[in-house]
Amino acid sequence: MLKPGDAAPPFDLPCALDDQLSRLSLANIRSEMVVLFFYPHDFSFICPTEVVGFHKAQAAFKAEQTSIVGVSVDDAETHRRWARELGGLGYPLLADEGGKLARAFGVLDDSENVALRATFILDAKRTVQYAVASPINVGRSVHETLRVVQALRSGKLCPADWNPDSDADTL
Amino acid sequence: MAALKTEEKRRTFERLANIREIVFGVQDGVLTTAGVLAGLSGAVEVRSQVILAALASTVAGALSMGAGAYLGAHAESAVLRSELERVRRESQEQPYVIQESLIEALGKEGLNREAAYRVVKLMSESPDVLYTTAEEKLYGLTGANFGNPMIEGLLMGVAFLVGALVPLLPFMLIASVHAGLIAGIATTAMVLFAVGYIFEGRFSGERRPALAGLRFLAIALGAAIIGYVIGLLIAPIGTVPVG
Repeated sequence: MLKPGDAAPPFDLPCALDDQLSRLSLANIRSEMVVLFFYPHDFSFICPTEVVGFHKAQAAFKAEQTSIVGVSVDDAETHRRWARELGGLGYPLLADEGGKLARAFGVLDDSENVALRATFILDAKRTVQYAVASPINVGRSVHETLRVVQALRSGKLCPADWNPDSDADTL
Repeated sequence: MAALKTEEKRRTFERLANIREIVFGVQDGVLTTAGVLAGLSGAVEVRSQVILAALASTVAGALSMGAGAYLGAHAESAVLRSELERVRRESQEQPYVIQESLIEALGKEGLNREAAYRVVKLMSESPDVLYTTAEEKLYGLTGANFGNPMIEGLLMGVAFLVGALVPLLPFMLIASVHAGLIAGIATTAMVLFAVGYIFEGRFSGERRPALAGLRFLAIALGAAIIGYVIGLLIAPIGTVPVG
């Protein structure tokens, strides 16, 4: 699994966005930061809370100049139907068929051939600044991901449980 | 009407589950008694002693098999019910675990993930439907798994008794030990062939039911021959004077 300081592998993959099929490359993402989150499957009862959670928090991420990209091994058409099932998503779902991208990030579960539940935050140079993998039965905290983005963008030395509302720059 | 027929079919299947006790009981009664008769005929010269021993073996066997079937069914039912209650409690706390497992199970049976998801989502509208389906699909449990221990025990015991009479009656009715034994083994062979032919052959729709009958027959003859040979082998021990 990639760790902070590693360069993010480039990608150029099919995706579903706004009920359309498209392509997305890392090079074409213009935002300052990127949250790239991997999940095992579309049409699952475990993942939707996170997928929808990121959608609901999209405005907050946008305010932090951060794009959100979801990735699983499902194809783009399945992503499109899944996004529609969830009521529409405002960010792209990448089709990593075969798990090449998940493998490049070191988060491919070879036994199941699906991605682990892993989140990466990439900076402006597309270097990994934050990497975390969750067990299958524990959902990620969208709020925590946002907090880390805010902490990274603050450029400060952030103590434990730092948040922008109780900003403290010393340990 | 269709629903009624389905319910009727389900009950028929549950009743058919008792065939296991009947076939097992009859087969065991026939084989055990034929084996006892064959073994004792080789070892004991006095016919009345052979009959007495075979009768004792039959009664003990029927009681033991009946009690065993009752206790086994009772224990199985108690363990399964307790396990199901635990699973259901966990499912209520974390329904997605069962939902995901069902998606996987349906996927293995041929549905694609999306279709399986939609089916499970529909079922999830009624938790009882979800849990009952999960019990059947994930744990292979249906109403038939919770048979009546008392009925299963009685069926097993009676089936054993009936089976035991097959070789025992000819042996009791014919005065000669060897002629009685041959008659007993002949009726044993016929009945076992018939049991195999009817239950495994006809009921299961096997194309060649006679093969199922022959399988039972082979087992019966094998048990009888082995019992007889062992009887011959241990006979000298009984003739050694004590003290």
